[in-house]
Amino acid sequence: MSFLHAFTRNRGAVLGLIILALVALMAATASVVFPFSPWDMQGAPFAHPGEEGFLLGSDSLGRDVAAGIAHGAYVSLLIGAVSTLVGLAIGVSLGAIAGYAGGLMDDAIMRVTEIFQTVPSFILAVVLVAIFRPSLASIVAAIAIVSWPPVTRVVRAEFLTLRNREFVQAAEVLGRSRFAIIVHEILPNALSPIIVLASLMVASAVLLESALSFLGLGDPNLMSWGFMIGSGRSVIRLAWWMSVFPGLAIFLTVLALNLVGDGLADALNPRLSRRR
Amino acid sequence: MSLLRIENLTVALPQGAERPHAISDVSMSLDAGEILCIVGESGSGKSVSVAATMGLLPAALKITQGRILLDGTDILGFSPAQMRDMRGKRIGMIFQEPMTALNPLMRVRDQVAEIMQVHGAPVGNRVLELLEAVGLPNPATLARAYPHQLSGGQRQRVMIAIALALEPAILIADEPTTALDVTTQMQVLHLIRNIQQRRGMGVLFITHDFGVVAEIADRVVVMQQGAVVESGHVTEILQNPQHPYTLKLIAAVPHTTPPPRPAPPGHPITGRPILELVGVTKTYRGRGAVPAVHQASLRIGRGETLGLVGESGSGKSTLARAIVRLVIPESGAIRFHDTDLRPLSRGQWKPFRKRIQMVFQDPAASLNPRRRVGDIIAEGPVAHGEPRHKARARAIELLRLVQLDPGAADRFPHEFSGGQRQRIGIARALAMEPELLIADEPVSALDVSVQAQILELLEDLRVRLNLTMLFITHDLRVAAQICDRVAVMRRGIIVEQGPTAEVFANPTHDYTRALLDSIPGRRKNQT
Repeated sequence: MSFLHAFTRNRGAVLGLIILALVALMAATASVVFPFSPWDMQGAPFAHPGEEGFLLGSDSLGRDVAAGIAHGAYVSLLIGAVSTLVGLAIGVSLGAIAGYAGGLMDDAIMRVTEIFQTVPSFILAVVLVAIFRPSLASIVAAIAIVSWPPVTRVVRAEFLTLRNREFVQAAEVLGRSRFAIIVHEILPNALSPIIVLASLMVASAVLLESALSFLGLGDPNLMSWGFMIGSGRSVIRLAWWMSVFPGLAIFLTVLALNLVGDGLADALNPRLSRRR
Repeated sequence: MSLLRIENLTVALPQGAERPHAISDVSMSLDAGEILCIVGESGSGKSVSVAATMGLLPAALKITQGRILLDGTDILGFSPAQMRDMRGKRIGMIFQEPMTALNPLMRVRDQVAEIMQVHGAPVGNRVLELLEAVGLPNPATLARAYPHQLSGGQRQRVMIAIALALEPAILIADEPTTALDVTTQMQVLHLIRNIQQRRGMGVLFITHDFGVVAEIADRVVVMQQGAVVESGHVTEILQNPQHPYTLKLIAAVPHTTPPPRPAPPGHPITGRPILELVGVTKTYRGRGAVPAVHQASLRIGRGETLGLVGESGSGKSTLARAIVRLVIPESGAIRFHDTDLRPLSRGQWKPFRKRIQMVFQDPAASLNPRRRVGDIIAEGPVAHGEPRHKARARAIELLRLVQLDPGAADRFPHEFSGGQRQRIGIARALAMEPELLIADEPVSALDVSVQAQILELLEDLRVRLNLTMLFITHDLRVAAQICDRVAVMRRGIIVEQGPTAEVFANPTHDYTRALLDSIPGRRKNQT
């Protein structure tokens, strides 16, 4: 309860949550409001917003920009959420093992993490998607692979401090297994930075996916915001709405995720939330 | 006229706190040339009273009534500039934690000089004079050192030097010796006493320990729940306390003479020991070649309580942790009945987890904040294969055993006080039905009156459950209360062991003697 209270006191976070809820609602109702494929031609090309029944105009092939944004929301959120989950799974398990085991295991895991961190993440994602052919699965995998290293670092740092806490030692003395200590004793206490990090990871995953689609490396069967900007870029002087509205959608979603992340960070940090 | 006079001071707590006022209607006065001790447990409002005097109250606390007169002027009406001028110059202050009170990035010399520069006083040779005056060896070398290069006692002396730099008329000391070892505590107490007498200062000394009071105070103010319940001359208060709370506080200070104890069933020397340590050595990597524990040998007989006494850094906690495999010593034998535990792997150790249990020092840190008390107590037996519902049922019995409400099982640790949490920690250890209980400073984080209750509980449980106990403490008074035998540890080496009464009456090692002499209030108690 006190968490909810602290979170709702942060107006930015509440606003972020509202925007996010609207985007999710849009994604969920896309096929009801626009019961056709966003790839289908719906009217004349280059219709201005508001003309010919196109709320946000149409593109160079007469496709509905509004339908594209609504269907694209689903793709963006799905890729953002799934790749974050996969990234978290890799990052949390490696970080937990490194932080809890320490010694050689820690060294080995951290060196691998550093190798991944030295490669520019976007270039790596582009290479991975190009190698594995653009598809939903390969995009999710590529984003997850480039986004786990920070998680590992954060989780490891948390585990390093927590594993010397007395309640963890008490669990050792009680004879609990290593797995139980990691999962039941340490992890719940390391959850708040992980949650905060996750909300920001979703934001960067949405951006990464858009950037990949912009370069034409998106799933060719799925309409996505990045692809819409990419295809509208060459006619931006003629039909600004083709790039601007998907751009706004990305901007608002990423901003909302960041606001929520900040709000979570404040609310989960008791010292900060008390000061407000 | 008094040097400092606090009149009817009331400080309000923010709304929703457990009581409306941090302190209410508190009055006291301090004269030149005397030491006034403010005594009380945590939450009694003693720190708030002096924080108000220094203008250091947290923003959430507001003074609603009263006056604080310094030489006859009310300082509550002071502007921030006047307040700054007063601090350091007319009232000096030393704090509890010397490590955090000093700036880790500044050399000692600069920190001492800073206060003089701030107040526009000439620095000159004063820094070295001051460091010498507080009894620091080699002032010239020390002045160039950083705080982390000094010991706790040295740091506290530097703090005192800073507080004295401008020769204030009043020195406020907020639990200045609580974080220090006993021998250091005694030195610092003597230093404060000496300087106070030499300069005729008034000292406002906050403490929770009546032993310290007996050592240093001229007059005493006892506070409880934000109100002054008793005040008077120190001999009056110590010999003839009127208020029940004062009585309780004085009674809670463990006596230094060990009470007679019935002999434990197994003879400690001839009988087969439950636990025997032979030449245990543990060296931490990267700390030079000094072993934390060096060639430690101990025997604990059935039903006996052995006290392991030593100051911080003596290696007593490392030794205790070595017994339960939280640290792995590089040599020596840890024999439990007939098995040497040292070479065992994690898996091989598991059966012994049921038989050797541990109670930890800090009850706030030793319970997982995210789990319910019932689960915390039940988790040990569950890990050893007991069905969860049975373990839960027994957790509730155990809560009764440690005198807690069974309803506690469904609550989280933060909902309990320090003493209650320590009871939960004890219940968790007892859930395994151990033979040997290792208690690592189980009462040092608790207020004195709570300390006495926990010690009583441990003693009672030991008798009822026929436990054998290794009791680790830095406080000889506590060891005197509860231990059949004591072992004194210094710098990783056990320097003396023997029956408690004998060690206390005739210490053979110099260090033991120094420890005994440093018990605050000891001499005055005995006269």
